[in-house]
Order: sequence, then structure tokens, then C-alpha cells
Amino acid sequence: MAHLVNDSHAESLPLDLDACAAQPIRIPGAIQPHGALLVVDPRSLKRLHASANLRAITGFDLPDGASLAEVAEAGALVGDLRHWLAAEDPIFLRTAQIGGAALQVFGHLTPQGLFIEFEDPPRSEHETLEALYPRLRAFLSAIGGAGDVAAIAESAVREVRALTGFNRTLLYQFDDAGVGTVIAEDGDGVLPSYRGLSFPASDIPAQARELYRLNRLRLIVSADYAPCPVEPASSPLDGQPLDLSMAALRSVSPVHLQYMRNMGTGSSMSISILVEGRLWGLISGHSPAPRRVNAQVRTACDILGQILSLQIEAREQADRTADRLALKQVETELLARLALAPVFQRGLVENETTWLALARASGAAVYTRDGVRTAGLTPSAEAIADLAERFGHQEVIAIDSLAERWPETAAYAEVASGVLAISISQIRPDYIMWFRPEVVRTIDWGGEPAKRTAAPDRLSPRTSFEAWREQVRLRSLPWRPAEVEAARGFRNAIQDLVLKRAEERAELTGQLEAINRELESFSYSISHDLRAPFRHIVGFAELLSERERGLDATSRHYLESITDAALSAGRLVDDLLGFSQLGRANLNRGRVDLAKLVGEVRRAVEPDLDGRTVVWNVGPLPQAFGDAAMLRQVFQNLISNAVKYTAPRERAEITITGEELDDVVTCTVADNGVGFDMAYVGKLFGVFQRLHRVEDFEGTGIGLALVKRIVDRHGGTIEAHGVVGEGARFTLSLPKRERALTNAS
Amino acid sequence: MADLRPILLVEDNPRDLELTLTALAKCQLANDIVVARDGAEALDFLYLRGEHAERAPGGPAVVLLDLKLPKIDGLEVLETIKKDARQRQIPVVMLTSSREERDLVRSYELGVNAFVVKPVDFNAFFEAIQDLGMFWAILNEPPPGSRSNHG
Repeated sequence: MAHLVNDSHAESLPLDLDACAAQPIRIPGAIQPHGALLVVDPRSLKRLHASANLRAITGFDLPDGASLAEVAEAGALVGDLRHWLAAEDPIFLRTAQIGGAALQVFGHLTPQGLFIEFEDPPRSEHETLEALYPRLRAFLSAIGGAGDVAAIAESAVREVRALTGFNRTLLYQFDDAGVGTVIAEDGDGVLPSYRGLSFPASDIPAQARELYRLNRLRLIVSADYAPCPVEPASSPLDGQPLDLSMAALRSVSPVHLQYMRNMGTGSSMSISILVEGRLWGLISGHSPAPRRVNAQVRTACDILGQILSLQIEAREQADRTADRLALKQVETELLARLALAPVFQRGLVENETTWLALARASGAAVYTRDGVRTAGLTPSAEAIADLAERFGHQEVIAIDSLAERWPETAAYAEVASGVLAISISQIRPDYIMWFRPEVVRTIDWGGEPAKRTAAPDRLSPRTSFEAWREQVRLRSLPWRPAEVEAARGFRNAIQDLVLKRAEERAELTGQLEAINRELESFSYSISHDLRAPFRHIVGFAELLSERERGLDATSRHYLESITDAALSAGRLVDDLLGFSQLGRANLNRGRVDLAKLVGEVRRAVEPDLDGRTVVWNVGPLPQAFGDAAMLRQVFQNLISNAVKYTAPRERAEITITGEELDDVVTCTVADNGVGFDMAYVGKLFGVFQRLHRVEDFEGTGIGLALVKRIVDRHGGTIEAHGVVGEGARFTLSLPKRERALTNAS
Repeated sequence: MADLRPILLVEDNPRDLELTLTALAKCQLANDIVVARDGAEALDFLYLRGEHAERAPGGPAVVLLDLKLPKIDGLEVLETIKKDARQRQIPVVMLTSSREERDLVRSYELGVNAFVVKPVDFNAFFEAIQDLGMFWAILNEPPPGSRSNHG
């Protein structure tokens, strides 16, 4: 319901007519006195119930247990009735001669019996269905060509007034909340105009609405009538109270009559407009004085109502279809663009106009694990995330007024009062949302809807019908069914797209895995088949050298070169293999005691020191987190480099220090060796990159590349600093927490 | 105590074979060296089949086994030996070019006694062979009841 400007009356709204809603309108136990009711058994035609005024209206009596067939005056009627019963038509409507007088007879059949209602016949020939039929035909062709619903509503109220002679006829249309607004009116000025006014849902309680769906027409001849009782009150056939739902003479609730009197209406008739089975609206006729409308005219009005209903239904469906079609085109275009985008969120943001057009919105957002992306006018990212949580995994949500549902959201109602959202994930609260801004509307109420009655605990209908203007806020333009359907369709399409992406990714992963396997078998081959020949070259060269003691210096030199070359090649293969394996091997993460590691590496390089003076400055080293074997390799390479490049020094100094910081553990290996030119620092970690001559310092140039690769896989960094002739310093830093490792590898 | 049972060398590459035999010769071990050129021959020897049907019974002191062999490869030979209750006590040393992790893992899963990667450096290779020979033929205590010339 609308957010009322004056809030204090809001709670009293349901109180006003809830009690009326509870009244048993189908079983009033009485009829309006302008006609008479007789209920008989359909087979024996024996009397079951009769209204007290039966004799006064019809001229005959039917005592309890007697059959209508025994009533002489009703002979012709009985014949007609029997004929009708055999034919099984739903309605019996005939002018019958009963005891010399003509009466309009209206009959219907229920499990409780055959209901026969007697009324005054048409006053003139012009009021018969036969005479009215051409008018109905004219009406049918007139509205067939008419423009929109408003135009055909105007035609309808004019025709009904012409048929019935009421001083004022209205057409109400109900909204989703049951509020009725007058969209067409025809009148002679005797009664006030109600054009454009709205009437609260409570003016027609729920059980009345339900009855209006079943029985399309009701007439109250005079608001001041004294009800005529029907005896007995309960049916002898089923023991239940007599159900007068389908009886034209049904007596209405006193609350309703009071309501009429309050409204200044002496007589009223209303015709239901049913669209797709629900009560779409009503055509009402009112006069200040009592008015009769005979059964044939009423039937003509009922037919008119049905014609109108079908026309409205057809028009609404056509509008919806046209709407849907237009939106479908937008959807197709958007999907085509999204299919090209690598990530669909980006695709949406890059096609902002189309994205917004899909829901005719002024703002849109997509909320996923990767965050919030928006277009146009939207609430803040936090607000959007908050909304997604509130939606709670519903698939499609369409809300006209967020503030009504969650008052806290009123803060951004100007930008987003309405939201249309679709879920795009089965497991997370991921949504695409469209927003509409607040649109302030004015409702002219036919009387203040929540005006308190004098005695609030006593049943009392509205007394005030003076127009009362209300401003409705915090509400956007409502989402049309076609727009919601479009969003739903789009949701399916997005899910297909996401699915397709997942499949593509899986296939890509499959391809990558295949390539990886090929690479593995490739390096496996190298491992076996490439090392052997080098081993053979070295082996036989050595054997030859041992056998031929008498070789001269040059020959010896040649043999040594052969051996060295083969050894180099072998080392190269080993290094390459190691490097490749490193890329593929799994990281075995754990705590690594760097002090212990460095100690082991020092012991391993001791034999190579061979009489040299090497001073080790090893400070306390922290614990690190990573693969111990790989980290050993790192220090092996760094320390053996330090040893190698300090060879020319008389007194080599190698300093190893470490530190534990908040997020990382750092370690530095520094030496006083030959150093390197900082101009080439960028090449230092490249594969097979060397900054010194091979004859000066042996090595394949892969050692530092290996170090960098290991450090990268740990999610860490390594930096180098060198001064030619003075020394070099390598600082590596490794993330402390396991989380960082997971992200890196 | 010296174990004088033969050393079974399973190697298909002729150059590797020559180098290995030369290295072993330098050890001056008293043991016979039996050569098998592929996995099938190796198993023939162990099960006294084919050309080895008439040999003196008794298992070898150690099997020096290469991985990549024609007909039946090294891992299969290893598996056969280690799954046979009567043969599984025979020490098997995988002597191969490859340091591939999966070979390593699989060999140890099958129960290999040692895994040695043949170094490219000749001197290192020689030392490795000599160390192996000395260890298995001389230093190591063989399983009881397996000494030469016993059933």
C-alpha cells in the first residue's frame, strides 16, 4: 500500500470493514422485495423454500410439500421449465403468463434446488433482449475499432447508461492492491462526478470480490428496502443455509446499504469485468432514487460486460506481447555483445545503453564474487551488496517500492525506489539489478480512506466521500509483466553463457593439461637419451687419456677440450631438466629453518673452498614458510655463486643475514667478490644470461634463473645489487603466511 | 665377509656397458660379472631359463639394473623380482640416466634397494660404479642362507 503522508491513520484501515468482510453475504436468508423467490425440487417440482412475498408477486401460493405442477396458473411455466431442465442450459429467462399476468421468470439450478425468481416484466418492447440485440451488435463493432482501453471504457459506460437509465455510470479498474480507480464515467450531472478518483480496496471486501467473480451482475433496486425473508433458512436437501450466490434478488449486507446511503445513492447495479479469470474492474450504475432494471436489460448488460472483458483481455495480451517482443530484441542484442566479451560483467558495463534498455531502467549493477560493477544511476556499492544479501537467493525479484519493504533503503529512494533483480549463481548471492528512481504520484481518493468512524468498535462504512488528495512517495514506475519476463529470460540466457564459459575453460584446461603431459614426456626423453651420449664422450675420452701416456701437450689439450665440452653439455642438460622440473613439481609447503638450511649448504660447499680463506658472517636467521628442498636449491645457488665470484679475493667475505617482518621473511646473501655492473641488473635473472666470461667463471648461467623461478613460485621477490670490483648483494623476501603461497602457485 | 656370487649387470647401451665393465674391472672384484642386454635376459638368468638354464644355481650378489631396456623394461624386472618371495631378497640397484621423479617414486614403491643416477662426469661415474661394487660385493652383509653354492 502507498506510504501515507499522514501516518497516524494507517493502522485503522483494516479495522473499518474487516467486520463487513466477515458477514455471510451468500446466505442472507432474505431477498430484495421487488421480486419473489421459489425454490423447488428439480424432479418433483415440490416446494423447498419460498420468499414471504410469493403470493403478493405471483398471485399463487405453494404450500410446503406441494408441487408447482399442481398450480393451475403456472401450467405453461411448468412446461417451459421441464423443457429447459431437459436441455441443461445454465440459465432460464422467459416472460411467462401466470394467472393472466405476465411475469419475468429467471431460473437457475444448484445442488440445493431449482431457483425460480419472479419479477416485473419489461415495461415496453424496447426493453426486451430481442430489441436490445442490435445495440449490442453496434457496441461490439464500435469497440472493435476503438483505440485503447480508456476509449472502450468510455463507450461501455455510455452504452450501459443508455441501456439502464442510471443517472451516472462508472468504470473502475483495480490495481494489484485492490484499489479501484474510475477511468471512465458517463452522467447527467445529478450525481457528483467521480472521474479520476480512487477508492480503497476495503470498499469492496474480499468475499464480495470473490462472489463478483462467480456472479457477474448485481442490482440493488432501492437502498431503503426491507428484506423479505425466505423460509426455511436451511435447505432440506443438505441441511446447509440456503446459498443465494446466483440469485438476482439476493439481499445484500446492511453495511453495503449504509455505504450506499452515505454515498447518496438510492439504487445501484454493477457488472464484473473479468480478465483471465480475475476481477479486473467493475461497471457501476447509480441513481439517487430507486430504480428497477428488468432481467432482460440486465442480461444485455451482462453480455456487454463479457464483450468488454474479452476486448480488454485481448488488448492487454497484445500489449504484453508487443512489449515482450521489443524487449526481446534488446535482449538478443545484449546477449550477442556479451558473447564476445571475455568476462560478461565487462560486457554489460561496456554496453551500458542496451543493458539499461532491457528493463527500461535508469541504473543497473552486477554483483558477483569479483565485486560490483555499475552503470547509470545506482545506489552505492555497499548498498548494492546489502540488497543482494536481502534478496536471499530468490531467482527473480521485482519491487516497486524498496522503502516499503525495507524502510532503511529510503535513504537512496531518489535514485532507486524500484529494483528488478535476477540471480545468476546457484551458490552465491550474485545478482544483476536494474534500478528505477522515485516517481511522485498523486492519488485523488474518493474520501479519506482511513477516516475514523464515530464508534470504531461498531461496524460502520465510510461516511465521507469528499475527494482527498494524497501524494505517494518512495515508489518507482511499476515493473510491467513484459519487463519481468524479459529479465527472467535474460537470466536463463546468462546462465547458459556462464555455463558455456565454464565448458570452454574446462576444455582449455584439458588442452593445457595435454600440453603439459607432452612436455613432461619430452623432458623425460631428454633426461634419458640426451645425457647418455655426453657421458660416453667423457668416459671414452678419459679412458683414452689413461691409455695413451705418451701424448704430447697439444694432444692432451685436445682431449681435455673434448672432455670439458661434453661435461658442459651434460651440465647444461641437467640444469635445463632441473629448471623444467621446477615449473612442474608440486610445492611441499612447511616451516623451513633457514639457519639449518644455510648450515647444510655451507657444509656442502666446504670441499670446494680448498685452502682458500673464507670468512663467514652468518647472523641469526628466521623461520620461513615454503618448500624446503627448493629453498635449499636457492641458497645452494646463491652461496656457491658467492664462493665462486669471491675466488680472486685473498680474503673472501660472505655475509648472510635475515629478518622477520610483519608479512614477509627476508634474507640477504652478500659477498666481497667481483660484483657486477648494475646496468645489466635486468638481465641477471634471465635464463642462460651471464655477465662474465666463461673462462673467468664457469657456469651455465641458469643458476639465478632457477633461484628466481623458485622465489616466484613462493610468491616472493628477489633483488640484486652489485658494484664492480667490490661485491654483490642478493636479497630475497618470502611471504610469511600460507595464504600468500596459495595465491602465488 | 666377501660375497662371491655373481654381479648381474643389465644394460642395453653398448657404450654404457663398456664403460661400466671397465669401471668394475678397475675394482678388481673377485665376483663374476654376468651381462644381460635386456629385461627378458635378466629374468632368464634369475629364473634359470633360456640360455641360462644350465647355470649354477644361486642368486646374484646384486643386480645393477638400467631403467630403459628393450623387451621387458627395468621397472618390470624390478617388480617381478620384488614380488617373488624367493627372489625378493636379491639387492637391486637402479642405475640409470634419469632423475625423473616418477621413476624414483615408482622404483621405491616397488622396493628397490638403491637408486643411482649415472653422472656425466666420467670420474664421478667410475667412482660411483666402484663404490657400488665394493659396497654390495664386499662391505654389505648378504641375507643369511644366500651364500654361493647353496641350493
